[in-house]
Amino acid sequence: MSELPPIPRPEQQPLPPAGGPRRIVLPPHRERARRPRSVRAREWVRRNLFPSWRGTLLTALAAGVLGLIAAGVIAFVFFGANWEVITHNRWLLFAGGFPREEAWRLWVSIAVVFGLIGLAYGTWSSLGRRDHLFVLLVGGFVIFLMAHGGAEIWSSVYFLIAVGCMYLGYLLTYQLPRATSSLRTLQVRVVGGLLILALPIVLLLLLVGGDVGIRSLDGFVLNLVLAPVGIVGGILIGIPLAVGRASSLKSISWTCTAYIEIVRGAPLLGWLFVALFILDDIIGGDLIIRAMVVMAVFTGAYMAEYIRGALQALPRGQYEAGQAVGLNQWQRTRLIIMPQALRISIPPMVGQAISIWKDTTLVTVILPLRELKGNADSAISQFEFTPDRIEAYVFVAVIFWIVAFMMSRISQRVERAQGVGER
Amino acid sequence: MPDERSPADIIAESAGPKAAVATDRSPSAEPDELSPRLANARDMIVTEHVDKWFGDFQALDDVTLNIKEEEIVVILGPSGSGKSTYIRCLNRLEEHDAGRIVIDGIELNEDVRAMQAIRSEVGMVFQQFNLFPHLSVLSNITLGPQKVRHVPKLEAEALAMQLLERVGIPEQADKFPAQLSGGQQQRVAIARALAMQPKIMLFDEPTSALDPEMIKEVLDVMQELAESGMTMIVVTHEMGFAREVADRLVFFDEGALVEQGTPEHFFTNPREERTKLFLSQIL
Repeated sequence: MSELPPIPRPEQQPLPPAGGPRRIVLPPHRERARRPRSVRAREWVRRNLFPSWRGTLLTALAAGVLGLIAAGVIAFVFFGANWEVITHNRWLLFAGGFPREEAWRLWVSIAVVFGLIGLAYGTWSSLGRRDHLFVLLVGGFVIFLMAHGGAEIWSSVYFLIAVGCMYLGYLLTYQLPRATSSLRTLQVRVVGGLLILALPIVLLLLLVGGDVGIRSLDGFVLNLVLAPVGIVGGILIGIPLAVGRASSLKSISWTCTAYIEIVRGAPLLGWLFVALFILDDIIGGDLIIRAMVVMAVFTGAYMAEYIRGALQALPRGQYEAGQAVGLNQWQRTRLIIMPQALRISIPPMVGQAISIWKDTTLVTVILPLRELKGNADSAISQFEFTPDRIEAYVFVAVIFWIVAFMMSRISQRVERAQGVGER
Repeated sequence: MPDERSPADIIAESAGPKAAVATDRSPSAEPDELSPRLANARDMIVTEHVDKWFGDFQALDDVTLNIKEEEIVVILGPSGSGKSTYIRCLNRLEEHDAGRIVIDGIELNEDVRAMQAIRSEVGMVFQQFNLFPHLSVLSNITLGPQKVRHVPKLEAEALAMQLLERVGIPEQADKFPAQLSGGQQQRVAIARALAMQPKIMLFDEPTSALDPEMIKEVLDVMQELAESGMTMIVVTHEMGFAREVADRLVFFDEGALVEQGTPEHFFTNPREERTKLFLSQIL
């Protein structure tokens, strides 16, 4: 191994003479020599991949395994698989029985959501190289899917417009100055307000007027509606439950505890059967609405526990400072405790959100052949596609992964942006 | 000490021959004897025979102490002596179990509205600052006035800026607490308490969590506040502050008020053995 160039160090400053005024004298700032990039790269590779003969062996092993898997995947994706099961059933998988002449509602909804994501990114964070790469990959994937022959070529144009909306929103907000606090406050309020309104707006677009209704939701669109309804409903249920469980009034605290423990005690699948068989007699309504209620109720129990954990993590001084300022209990909860508790509980709540996103596939049990996975089942039940079940399920898995990964990335950004002013 | 006289007698004696006539055997001194400038002031805080229990532990044992308007009282005592508990009872962060506490004519009891009224009249500064980390410095200060007193936003902000000027850090208004030094945070906490325009300020070891070089900036603000005529009760170990600013020192031990008197009395001629021991340990 070749000798590495010595690391430059600033010279030691002599201590100031004793007895004089005690001032800390820092050495003058100077440009420190950097090692050339090629040396640094070589050093990085050596340290992280080949630190010793054992390390080298393990790296080689890992590379071998990864290589085998990659070769298998590439062989399957590009040569072995018959993707016609997907391209032929694009609309079935995407929106199923949603009326085609109302498809504009889907595209406008997607554009609205994408635009809002852009606004939010511009307000609280910034897009990095990896984000652009992710958009490029997903965009390419979707456009390849859409443009692969057939009448839905326009769909890729619509999708591109939606992505454009995202970048437009991003540029709009990212350009705004961040220094002036009053403008910044206004921006945060407007974008925050729009985000809160997003779900009602999208539901309005998808469900009201024309030839559509709750029964039109089908395919991937159904998953895309079920999950946010479950998550938002869950948070709305979870907040009062958490506060209630922490209440000193035992009747309230016991009721909330009972709710949480009972709901968490059974799997979501069980509660979906409750929706199917029992809620029918009690609240009736469309099965999709019952499924939404169950998902919100189920998620609420988990959200409540995460928020309660955050409430307990808050220092007691925060409650006392609120009391000392003269705020009443409701004001303390709303203005001081909840904002901090919700911030602390973002990571576990996102975990729960990703989990409920994937669990939307369970709805297939009570609503057969409706959501994405169910429609994949019906795609492979077509005579000519019966051998292509792996392709269909791989596709479904990739779609779920894309959305889950997006959620996790966005939550990381939210956490970082919220870190301002953290203790 | 085989002395059966109450601290009141001791203080009365130490205050001079005129005071020796006082025959009241309650542990409360006559503050007018202690500080002539407060001779005609009315009682701002009245506490009579206050007990406080935490489970089996008696935190306050029959504390009787009256404090005049504009008086500066410094409470001394070893840790666990009940001094923090005492001032926390004054704005009902703790509920006393027996006795009577009257703040500016309002008695503290189960009545929630009385409690709210008192909390907006009594400002409190904590050892750990307890600023709201999710709000800017300015919002920390305007929150109380806006939400409790319903002061319009612009007015509340103008007041907050005035107070930040007063504590010497107007340029930090838009920062978040975590971006400030400890001394600056504590000064914001003082400004936050003052924003409610309280008649009384309670300080619970306000400099104990600070690095040494920041203690002075907080004490300077407190001294300025004392000179402006605020009624203040300060729990602290800063003897320089106690000697210079206080009208009266009060020594607590094991939940009881052991001795009280002028700073001069305390630093030249303390009477109680426990007071002497304590002072010898910290001076």
